Amino acid sequence: MSGQVTALPGKVCAKLGVGGLLMAMVLLLCGALVIYPVVFLVAESLNTGEPGVFPPPEMSLSNFAAIGEDIGVIGDTLLVAALATVMAVTMGFVLAWILSRTNIVGRAKLERLMELPYYMTPLVGAMAWGILAGPKTGLLNQLWHLAGGGGDLFDIYTPLGIAWVMALFEGTVAFVMISAAMKSMDPALEESSRVLGAGKLHTMLHVTLPLVAPGVASAAVFVFAEMLGAFAAAFVLGIPGRFYVVTTAIWQSTQSYPPEYGRAAALGLSLFAAMVITLTFSKLILRRGSHATITGKAFRPRRIDAGSARWLLLAIAWGYVLLAVVLPVGALLLTSFQKFATVVLSDSIFTLANYQTALSTGTLGQAFVNSLILGLSVASIGVPLIGVLTWIIYRSRLPGGVFIEYVAMFPQAVPRLVFGLGLLWAWINIPIPIYGTLWLLGIAYFTVFLPLGLRTMAGVIMQVDRSLEECARVCGASWAHQMRTISLPLLRPGLAAAWLLILIASIRELGASIFLMGPQSKVVSPAIINAWLTSSSELSAAMAMLLTGTVFAGVLLLFLFARNFSPNQE
Amino acid sequence: MTNNGSDARIEVIDLVVRYGDVLAVQGVGFAIQPGELVTLLGPSGCGKTTTLRSIAGLEDPVGGTIRLNGAVAYSAAERTNLPAEKRGLSMVFQSYAIWPHMTVAENVAYGLKVRRLPRAEVEANVRRVLDLVQMTTYADRPASKLSGGQQQRIAVARAIAFSPNVLLFDEPLSNLDAKLRAEMRVELRELQRRLDITALYVTHDQEEALAISDRVIVMNHGRIEQIGSPEQVYNRPCSLFVADFVGAANLITGEMLSPPDGDGRVAFVTEGGVKLQAHDWQKVAGTRLQTAPTGATKTGTTKAGERTVALHSAYIRLEPVNGADGAGVAHVAGRAGAMNLSYGTIHRRMFHGDFIQYVVDWPAGQLIVRRPPTEMIAENQKVRIQFAAEHCVLL
Repeated sequence: MSGQVTALPGKVCAKLGVGGLLMAMVLLLCGALVIYPVVFLVAESLNTGEPGVFPPPEMSLSNFAAIGEDIGVIGDTLLVAALATVMAVTMGFVLAWILSRTNIVGRAKLERLMELPYYMTPLVGAMAWGILAGPKTGLLNQLWHLAGGGGDLFDIYTPLGIAWVMALFEGTVAFVMISAAMKSMDPALEESSRVLGAGKLHTMLHVTLPLVAPGVASAAVFVFAEMLGAFAAAFVLGIPGRFYVVTTAIWQSTQSYPPEYGRAAALGLSLFAAMVITLTFSKLILRRGSHATITGKAFRPRRIDAGSARWLLLAIAWGYVLLAVVLPVGALLLTSFQKFATVVLSDSIFTLANYQTALSTGTLGQAFVNSLILGLSVASIGVPLIGVLTWIIYRSRLPGGVFIEYVAMFPQAVPRLVFGLGLLWAWINIPIPIYGTLWLLGIAYFTVFLPLGLRTMAGVIMQVDRSLEECARVCGASWAHQMRTISLPLLRPGLAAAWLLILIASIRELGASIFLMGPQSKVVSPAIINAWLTSSSELSAAMAMLLTGTVFAGVLLLFLFARNFSPNQE
Repeated sequence: MTNNGSDARIEVIDLVVRYGDVLAVQGVGFAIQPGELVTLLGPSGCGKTTTLRSIAGLEDPVGGTIRLNGAVAYSAAERTNLPAEKRGLSMVFQSYAIWPHMTVAENVAYGLKVRRLPRAEVEANVRRVLDLVQMTTYADRPASKLSGGQQQRIAVARAIAFSPNVLLFDEPLSNLDAKLRAEMRVELRELQRRLDITALYVTHDQEEALAISDRVIVMNHGRIEQIGSPEQVYNRPCSLFVADFVGAANLITGEMLSPPDGDGRVAFVTEGGVKLQAHDWQKVAGTRLQTAPTGATKTGTTKAGERTVALHSAYIRLEPVNGADGAGVAHVAGRAGAMNLSYGTIHRRMFHGDFIQYVVDWPAGQLIVRRPPTEMIAENQKVRIQFAAEHCVLL
């Protein structure tokens, strides 16, 4: 791409003129959405005068110097992130190996189920595990007591517990990345080892492992970066015991009086820097370590006949589904139908009242409606806009495409919470009165989902062979006619999937929303958090179930789409 | 639009295309007359497809001129580059580019509908071309449910439906299996002749290029090595590259014993001391149309005075001889311009079905020889080797 960009000759200046103008506009839009909030974040981190004022009345580095006082928080963050990474990568590796390299039954369905914890969200997961494994009243602990055990078997309100929940609900990415590494290996590499006389184990140790090692290492570092920026689990399970990680410390410092915006911004920027460095490192590992024989091409991996051990492997895979989907959903379901806050297994009273309250209570019901409105409009406006953007970056030969890609992918590296903070200050300081309205949330969602949309859409656009479009042109169709008759009809299923994906992501969004929603613009995830903090757990369980149900319905549609519109229509 | 008065359908002058720092096409020029089928032949990366795509309007060249039917389609000097849809030509893509969301008939009708022809005319033309490619019964099938060969036919039907007078083929047969490829080759040529379409055809398959073309343009490293009829390119290659790429000739190194005479005859001695009579066809007017700059395709280091003779494996005759008969001694037959004669031993025999390929040890090294399957000779058998002087092409 870049090569062709520099090759543009002066002779096609007219084309460049229009294209250049288009590029400038796109760049301006992306810049305004992405860079603008970051400017405010940086300004606020340097602001030692009145908080939230732009430009800062007084500037110094003292906010950054004060990070030293948060050394305990940083240590706790690293501890939790490291624990969660180890657990997530271990689970991810084992599950990826079982599902992509062995012949256990029902692999396709299991692989789909593996994605569910991610869609369930760490927020819902943390609440569910709070119900399951809280001290004394936790369902698992109650079972333990019934069985005659003394004391508590589990306490989820600990660093280890937080890491466990993070690993289950945010670690899905480890499974996805490691699976990809395992699937992109040419099975002939292993087959030739076997043919040359090496046994299964020898092949595994000397061929398979060295080949997937870079992929696993890269996934581990990537997951670590994600865990550094994770918020929900640490919030739900850490705040009650006054255990803080960087993200929850940022939230807390904005809630104190007077708000410590400088501290929040300095912590946020440091977290952002740490994540950028870690993510770059992850990419570097992959590039340096990957062998030329591992291509981007997907092979059909040779599956190992696990023999009688396959029942054990099947049990492990389903065990994960049990821990990450069945138990949490079951616990929430049970709690949401209870009349009293703490479920005591022996004397429970079932009721539908919580769902009635959740749906009728003015602000809570409104939060669902708001989330749906936001999700539908962000997806509907975002897909065409991001579609055009993707086309400009990956298909047109206009100069600067690579640069636009960098800008648009930027929000990926910024923790949502930190980005929300920047957006908050950025839009408070603009004379357009959109703070506290759904408009601001809409803009924020569009911005933070740019990378997601771009990646999905790029996959969709790349699936359509370029010659299909070129052929239409040679047949005499203008660009517009070609778009209408060839490109759009071919892209439609992929675009529908992208639309659903953005819808789902919007409905479950927490990090950016928590700072940006106002009393008149509540959305679901932060509303659940508020309910969890201020009212009963059975009410928030009911809300969590409604959120989960909505999201799962979306995911189901997504899977159906994915099945019906595979790229090869053979 | 300028018309330079030439009646060529396609005229390419000094075309230069750049990909980043790489010059994919470096100063290519040729003209194609009405009704001609010309092939761009060369290995992958030689710039043949880029040249074709530039003519179609799918690339942005950086220099040169392209005229279609006398009108400028691209000109670096005039700063014009007509978009593909304004060029009025048609193209068959390597991937076929059959639109999977349409029926066969809709695919074929596309170019006609774009031209806003009346419905009856669209339908008549669709029927006509589907009939030409023998796909009439498939008209209402979804295009995604076709085999490779059927997709190929639909791609051709679509390309000729709106009666373009110039048709471009980008390796149209490369995704078909060998048997189907040979059949489609005949059909394509038949169709092109019948409809009297001017065609430019890109392929890396030398056999296909020789079989199908009126003229062949051999390309390498973004330049033209040779332009000529299939016979000229095969029999009188003008560079080491062409000799090696077209028909895989034996390349025999040695020295000239005397400079070529007026008719291009040369006395030549190979490295093993075999004396041959060879021909320097480049001395003969009309053979050498265009070559790369001297030395561009020479491979390896060559000693001073060292020259190469190309000799196609099909032009060598073998005859079994008895052990004592002139073993190992080679000599040139007395008659000037007649047969070269030598002796050797069959080293290896490979039966290919349509022909037998022999590896023959002879004093100048090894020779690859192809003989019809009727001429079966045992391995290790002594043979007499004969080949005409005119087939020994001095490069």
